[in-house]
Amino acid sequence: MLELQGFACGYGLVRAVETLDLKVEAGRITALLGPNGAGKTSTMMAIAGHVQVQAGRIMFKGEDMTGLPPAERTRRGIAIAPEGRRIFPDLTVAENLLVGGYTLPLIEARRIEQSVFELFPRLAERRRQAAGLLSGGEQQMLAIGRALMAKPKLLLVDELSLGLMPAMVEQCFEALLALKRQGLGVLLVEQNTHRALRVADRVAVLVSGRLAYEADGEQARKDPAMVDSFLGLR
Amino acid sequence: MYLLELLLVGLVWGCTYAMMALGLTLVYGLLRILHVAQATVFTLGAYVGLLVANHTGSLALAFPAAALSAAALGPLIYRLVYQPMLDKPPYVALVASIGLLIAMEDGFRLLFGPYGLSFTRNTWFTTTYSWAGLSLNVVQISMVIAAVGLLSAFAWFATRTRAGVAWRATVSDPAMAESFGVGVSGVRYQSFFIASALAGVAGVLVGLLNNLVEPGMGAMIGYKGLAIIVLGGLGNVPGTLVASLLLGVIESFGTVYLDKLLDRDAIAFLVLIVILMIRPQGLLGKAH
Ligand SMILES: Nc1ncnc2c1ncn2[C@@H]1O[C@H](COP(=O)(O)OP(=O)(O)O)[C@@H](O)[C@H]1O
Ligand SMILES: [Mg+2]
Repeated sequence: MLELQGFACGYGLVRAVETLDLKVEAGRITALLGPNGAGKTSTMMAIAGHVQVQAGRIMFKGEDMTGLPPAERTRRGIAIAPEGRRIFPDLTVAENLLVGGYTLPLIEARRIEQSVFELFPRLAERRRQAAGLLSGGEQQMLAIGRALMAKPKLLLVDELSLGLMPAMVEQCFEALLALKRQGLGVLLVEQNTHRALRVADRVAVLVSGRLAYEADGEQARKDPAMVDSFLGLR
Repeated sequence: MYLLELLLVGLVWGCTYAMMALGLTLVYGLLRILHVAQATVFTLGAYVGLLVANHTGSLALAFPAAALSAAALGPLIYRLVYQPMLDKPPYVALVASIGLLIAMEDGFRLLFGPYGLSFTRNTWFTTTYSWAGLSLNVVQISMVIAAVGLLSAFAWFATRTRAGVAWRATVSDPAMAESFGVGVSGVRYQSFFIASALAGVAGVLVGLLNNLVEPGMGAMIGYKGLAIIVLGGLGNVPGTLVASLLLGVIESFGTVYLDKLLDRDAIAFLVLIVILMIRPQGLLGKAH
């Protein structure tokens, strides 16, 4: 569904990611792993249209969308729950979701809001609360919920478990599995490698801006080479 | 009763300041620009209101005309002056804004003469109503009605409409709001439109109250507006409203009790300086 071809991205003269080829399929969870500073967030933000693509192409559903503005990518079916969550803290939960569905007609947005509340009942209970007052886990649910409001085909989630209580981490991973079963493609960046490996259908490891390892989840789970790749041994 | 009347007069001025300061805080919240030239939008509103009222005899026409002309000028200033400077440091826009204010003041002087104009018809607006020992004139009552009405309409827009919610989201995180399809450029024009319309209406009301519209009338209320939004905690809308009313009341009492020492504007700025020394983050702002 999503395909990065000879992709490189960065910030002006700074290269963050170098010649990356990566495929993300619908109905599967693709985990993008790697140490800090490897270029995971840069890749995610470049796919969403917030970081400059410096070489190669981003193909989505067979169309080149390398130069499109962020909102147009959202319209075509890519939505992001970014690193740091970046919910709107002064807006209520319901208002955050309203903004998430801004590209859709209001009636349709209301309908999708219902399905977000079914996925995350905690958000429904707190719909009138200011988002800034939610716990970290609830904020992550809101960030995912806001992305889902755009009715995406591909969901980008950057650092799902960072700073969350263990019970919340479980709920968020459960939600991703449920979304995958509904046919959504998920590109997941995660520090907690073990947890990510348990849900991943496909694994890619990025080290210093380069692809260091790639395999199906089944294989990656028992492959010592995956761990080595992190340490730069491969 | 006398104290109550002072309070009331203070709140009337506070309402007028609020109409001016709300726009300044909107622009600051969105662009981090201190929009000093808003004072010129206020003055334009006053002149257009006066000209329409004196030619047609209708105040009912004067207010919409003032609001619309002001609402045209504000976005134009954004487009021609601020937008080309957005990637420069904020003081560049501030200097340009001050320059524009001075140039426009001279423009008004060339067009309409230096001495100011009065409302020649509609003298009924000076009618004073007394009630239980309190007296207010029609303009003062209109100031309160206009401020409460327009600010409520704004609150309704910001919290009850999807465009308003998107507008608040943009203030908080422009890149994320844009990602979800909010047109950030449109939001900026909306802000200047709303801010300027409010300033234009305030201009006519102040012109009516003093029965004088003159080229430099915007400067003082413009500076006070800037002080108010700092006091309210820059970009903080509820804080701005509280600070506006507070300043109005302080002035009203100060003018009576400190009359021999200082004039109204000096009192206002003295109090602002003292409060900011105690609470640099503003009245409702959080300490960093
Ligand atoms: N805004 C930025 N400007 C310049 N360099 C950046 C910026 N953000 C990240 N980088 C650099 O890009 C590289 C990859 O960072 P990032 O994508 O955040 O990695 P990860 O998410 O894998 O931890 C790092 O070397 C980082 O210093
Ligand atoms: Mg990161």
